[in-house]
Amino acid sequence: MTECDREPDVIDAVTSGRWPERCEGELRGHVAGCAICADVVAVANALQEEHEFARREARVPPAGRVWWRAEMRARQEAARRATQPITVVQGLAGACAAGLIFALVELVWLRFSQSLDVVERLKQFVSDGQIGLAFQSALIPQVGWQLAIALVACCILTPLALYLALSKQ
Amino acid sequence: MRDLTLTDVERLESRADETEVAFQMDEDTFRAFYERTARSVWAYLSRMTGDAQLADDLLQETYYRFLRAERAYESDAHRRNYLFRIATNLVHDGRRRHRLDCVRVPDEDEPGLPQADGDIAEQTARRTDLARAMAQLKPRERDLLWLAYAHGSSHQEIAESLGLKTASIKLLLFRARRRLANLLRSGGIRT
Repeated sequence: MTECDREPDVIDAVTSGRWPERCEGELRGHVAGCAICADVVAVANALQEEHEFARREARVPPAGRVWWRAEMRARQEAARRATQPITVVQGLAGACAAGLIFALVELVWLRFSQSLDVVERLKQFVSDGQIGLAFQSALIPQVGWQLAIALVACCILTPLALYLALSKQ
Repeated sequence: MRDLTLTDVERLESRADETEVAFQMDEDTFRAFYERTARSVWAYLSRMTGDAQLADDLLQETYYRFLRAERAYESDAHRRNYLFRIATNLVHDGRRRHRLDCVRVPDEDEPGLPQADGDIAEQTARRTDLARAMAQLKPRERDLLWLAYAHGSSHQEIAESLGLKTASIKLLLFRARRRLANLLRSGGIRT
C-alpha cells in the first residue's frame, strides 16, 4: 500500500498548524497506528518548517528590478540578433579577401618563375651570341616592372582588405 | 545590392533598443504574479541548490525565461507550475555544470529567526537534521518532497513542474517520503 485515505487530512492538519495539539484526537489516534500517515507527519512537519524559514529568509529583489533587468536583457539579445547578419557578411568578406590574396600571390609567383625562365633563356642566348643587346635591355625591365607593380599592389591592398573585412565597425 | 555602412549598423542596433520587448504579460500582471510566487520560488531554489547566492541568480533567470516563453496558460496554477518547471530545469542544469549536489546544512550555532514561542536551538537542530537527511536523497526525490510537502503541490502540479507522468508521482513520492522519514528517525527526529 502506497497511500492512505486520511493522508489529505493529515497534510491539512500539518500545513494549517493544527498538528498535533489543536487536531482531533481521532486523527492523532489514526496517525499513531498508520505507518504511511506517520511518515507524512514526519516529513511534512519538517519540510513545512523549513519552507517557512526559507520564505522568511528570502530577500528577493523587487518586481520592478526583475522586470527591468529582463527588459534590458531581451533588448540586448534583440540587438545581437539584428547585427548577426552583418557579422556573417564580414566573415564572408574576410574569406573572399583571403582567397583573392592567395590567388594574387599564386599569379605573382607564376609570373616571377616565368620571368626567371626568360632571364635564364636570355642569359643562355647572350652567352651563345644569338640575341642582340637591344632585345635584352627591352624585355628584362618590362618583366621587372610588372612584378614590382603586382608586389606593391599586394602590399597596399592586403592590409586594406583585411582591415575592411575584419573591422568591427 | 547596397553595402551596409556604419550608420546602417547603428540604426539597426538603435531600432532593436527601441523595439517593444515581447513578453508574455504586461508589467502590472507580472508584478502581481511575482509578488505571489517569488518567495516560494527562491525558497525552492535555495534549498535545492544549497546556495542562497546562486538562488538569487537563478531567480532572475527563472523569471526571465518565464517572461520569454511563448506559451498559453489555462490558469494561474498552470502558470505557476510552468515557473517551477523552469526553476527545476535550471537547478538540474546547475547540478550538471557545477556538480551541485549539496543541500546546505546549517551550522549548529547558526541563529534561527526569533519566534514567539519556539526554542531557537531546538529549531536549528531540527533544521540540521532535515538538511542532513535531504542531502542523502537523490535530487529528484528532494524536488518531489519539497513540492509536495513544503510547497503543497498536488500530484498533477508536481508532474507538470518536474515533467513527469502524473500516474508515477504517487509511487515516487511514497518511496521518497519513506526514505526521508527513515533518515529523520534514524538521525533522532525532533518533533
